Amino acid sequence: MSSQWEIPKPEPTKNEETTPFWEGTAAGELRFQECEECGNRQLPAAPACVACLSPKVVWRASAGRGTVFSYTVIHHAFHPAFAAEVPYVVADVELDEGPILVSGIRPVDPAAVSIGMAVEVWFEPMADNPEYVLHWFRPAGGES
Amino acid sequence: MGTLRPPRAVIAGVGHTSFGKHPGTSAWRLQVDAFRAALEDCGLQASDVDGLFTESQFSEPLLMHGSLLGRQLGLRPDVLSTQSQGGATCMSLCQTAAEMIDRGMCKVAAVVYGDNAKTGMPNIYGLAQMGRGQADFVAHGLLGGPAMEALSAMRYKHTYGVTDEMFGSVAVAFREHAVATSHAQYRDPLSMEAYLASRYIAEPLRLYDCTIASDGGACIILTAPEVAADLARPAVRVLGMGQAHNLDGLRDRDHYTHFAGARASKTAYAMAGLGPDDIDVAQFYDCFTSTVLITLEDYGFAPKGEGGAFALEGNLRIDGGRLPSNTDGGMLSCGNVTGWGQVIEATKQLRGDQGPRQVQGAATAICSGHGGFQANHATMILAVA
Ligand SMILES: [Zn+2]
Repeated sequence: MSSQWEIPKPEPTKNEETTPFWEGTAAGELRFQECEECGNRQLPAAPACVACLSPKVVWRASAGRGTVFSYTVIHHAFHPAFAAEVPYVVADVELDEGPILVSGIRPVDPAAVSIGMAVEVWFEPMADNPEYVLHWFRPAGGES
Repeated sequence: MGTLRPPRAVIAGVGHTSFGKHPGTSAWRLQVDAFRAALEDCGLQASDVDGLFTESQFSEPLLMHGSLLGRQLGLRPDVLSTQSQGGATCMSLCQTAAEMIDRGMCKVAAVVYGDNAKTGMPNIYGLAQMGRGQADFVAHGLLGGPAMEALSAMRYKHTYGVTDEMFGSVAVAFREHAVATSHAQYRDPLSMEAYLASRYIAEPLRLYDCTIASDGGACIILTAPEVAADLARPAVRVLGMGQAHNLDGLRDRDHYTHFAGARASKTAYAMAGLGPDDIDVAQFYDCFTSTVLITLEDYGFAPKGEGGAFALEGNLRIDGGRLPSNTDGGMLSCGNVTGWGQVIEATKQLRGDQGPRQVQGAATAICSGHGGFQANHATMILAVA
């Protein structure tokens, strides 16, 4: 039974759609897809534009700034790998360019987080697998 | 959409196992036990069942689940359907079954689910159920149903000024109903003080805002009116059905505070020829208290943003409420069989013999099924035949 629970921290996946995103974070760049037909900007990555179905979607770099659209402070560790991190903040961040993406806000006092708060991206390789560099956000104007 | 009319189909039998901890009992055993209980409820035999409608257990997500279950039930059905729409699956399956009965493709349909979610699975929703590359948020720790729904609840709270007591009034009312329900999993009374003192799971959701986990199975038997006429228990009519699915996520920024339930219920109301004022009792998909408040609004029982005030005024209580809801305690207190409980309790209320928790004179009921974290929704309106 215990072995079932000794599972590593969940990793993102690289596939035909998502690989450019993770190549971007490894290069210190937060990327989103933009449709060359209709201009729609989207995340998560999809095989085509979800607004017009055009396959002509290209990757663009975000300036890495946005606001908190919604968030939660997670107190209960649903995965054993996060037990040492609770309470922690997960947020839907609305990029200035438009798309919303899931990320975490850290370092931050969870009580200081609010909807509409300005945030900026930073990057950190996953401890368990440095092949993946995760995007995190912190309050805008913080130390780098 | 074409002209809407109710299907010629009724609910003839309902059955479920006890809810709680059944360590060592397989999901299959719970499904078989529930199937047997529903047949005993209506007096039909397994050999009468010519339609099988299923959802795979979450503890062991399976392709072709209906075929595997059908073998264990010894069935040779004419029609078979396995669906996967999260908490909307039960009502979607019931709708498919009712339609096939109406068309004459089958006469007796069993809609079956069971899982040992309490003792048989790690509580890590969001990993197995979503395809590779579509669940990358798990890396940031967005894991577990409460965490995913909390993003909706926080936005809803922020947008409409919903208070903690408004969320709490749902949990307290449903627990009051569970106290009067002999088969409910949690029957200790819950006060608002105890609710407010309970620990956060994922803010703004506290322990008592979240569905319980249950080992349990449930089954609903639908049939044609002429078959039901010969049975011992009164049949309940399927009067309205509707679905809607917001699969485009946050491209519409309103989707965290306006669920697909508005569209689903509109279809169901139109099919039934009824409106919110005509509904006597409701069984909401209460995975979280916030989900109940938003659905109240989407279904037209309160204006958008005012579901919390509606609940806080006591309107969900059997005792004097305008819309007695989740009269067995729901998934917050009675048992969690992902949407089956809503249809089963609505059927029981319309039979009119539920003792201390009976809503007097209940002639119409509405049920909601909500799944996929703000994506999927199904509605059923039931009525005394
Ligand atoms: Zn496009």
